[in-house]
Amino acid sequence: MEALLTVPLSDYSPQMVSLNKPGLTDEADWIARAQRSDAKAFEALYRLHVDRVYGLCLRMTGNVSEAEDCTQEAFIQAWNKLELFRGDSAFGTWLHRIAVNSVLGRMRKSKREQDRIQVAAETILSPLPAADTGELQDLADAIDRLPAGARHVFVLHAVYGYSHEETGNMLDIAAGTSKAQLHRARRLLAQQLQEQGFEV
Amino acid sequence: MNEKLDDALMTAASKLSTEISPERDLWPEIASAINRPQRSRWMPMLAQAAAVVLLVGASSMVTYLVVKNDQAINEYEPSFQVTITPDLLFEQATYGNLGEDYKQAYGVVTSRLERELEKLSPEARADVERNLVVIRQAMGDINQALVKEPDNALLQELLAEAYREELVLMNRVGNLTRRLMSRQDI
Repeated sequence: MEALLTVPLSDYSPQMVSLNKPGLTDEADWIARAQRSDAKAFEALYRLHVDRVYGLCLRMTGNVSEAEDCTQEAFIQAWNKLELFRGDSAFGTWLHRIAVNSVLGRMRKSKREQDRIQVAAETILSPLPAADTGELQDLADAIDRLPAGARHVFVLHAVYGYSHEETGNMLDIAAGTSKAQLHRARRLLAQQLQEQGFEV
Repeated sequence: MNEKLDDALMTAASKLSTEISPERDLWPEIASAINRPQRSRWMPMLAQAAAVVLLVGASSMVTYLVVKNDQAINEYEPSFQVTITPDLLFEQATYGNLGEDYKQAYGVVTSRLERELEKLSPEARADVERNLVVIRQAMGDINQALVKEPDNALLQELLAEAYREELVLMNRVGNLTRRLMSRQDI
């Protein structure tokens, strides 16, 4: 395989010079080329999707280091499985599925969920990136304190907009379980926010 | 639950950022990982599975023979005895370059095996031959894996183990037919 060069996304293709955001044609082209082991095309896909994948990993893990690891693992997995991508869903959705599996796999494998709670508590000293401000930051912090099952469902459904069926598929749970976890998450979040004096 | 709060909660959740930039560039490590020559996934797994199969198969076969066929063995034939030591000459053995001593021992045991098999019942003989097939298949699989990964120490070790098991198995058949083996030897 050719040596990898880090190429700014804007320099990657001629179209990118004239378009600030890549279109579907660009993405489809990168996917096709990446499936033929073109690492530069895959880097372009990475640049295009990394913020959304990292955002999901960060929301699900609540920890910067874990989110970075999961993101990297997700993209490596995506590279290895790229030939299996047939375009049945959007590439971003496909990546999200892999990222969710990466998060769940790491949590199962390392049994770090208990550690995560500890780490989450410690992150008060090293707060997460200020992606959200004001009351949204309070909500983000409250989400981070949810139990794993409720947190994962809430993030996928309420934040990322996946249906209960899609959420269930990603988490390998029934759609009904997803609904139940969402209800639990909303109740716990409402309690937390009320305790903090959050008012409507 | 306060419904207004709940509605506000869901509305607020939908406004949370879905795209967050990592604090550092994660690409270099990804690039390094995907640029690394990939090890064949199935070959080591196949080799390990083959090794397990051959070890279990060989052990089962010998146990079976000792238990079931001791009565059928009624002939003692003094003959050349090949001693199989635990480290039978494999310390320096690598793929395609087995030691001369191994080849000598293999020749002796192989030539004797046919005669010894004839002394076993058809059922026991079939078991022996089936287990030899399993072991030799494992050897073939491991050899194929070694063609792709000639420097893989695990595969080299597994191959040596497979050859050793084959020799041990064949020699035990000979020993069985001469009542030189008991269950305590296993």
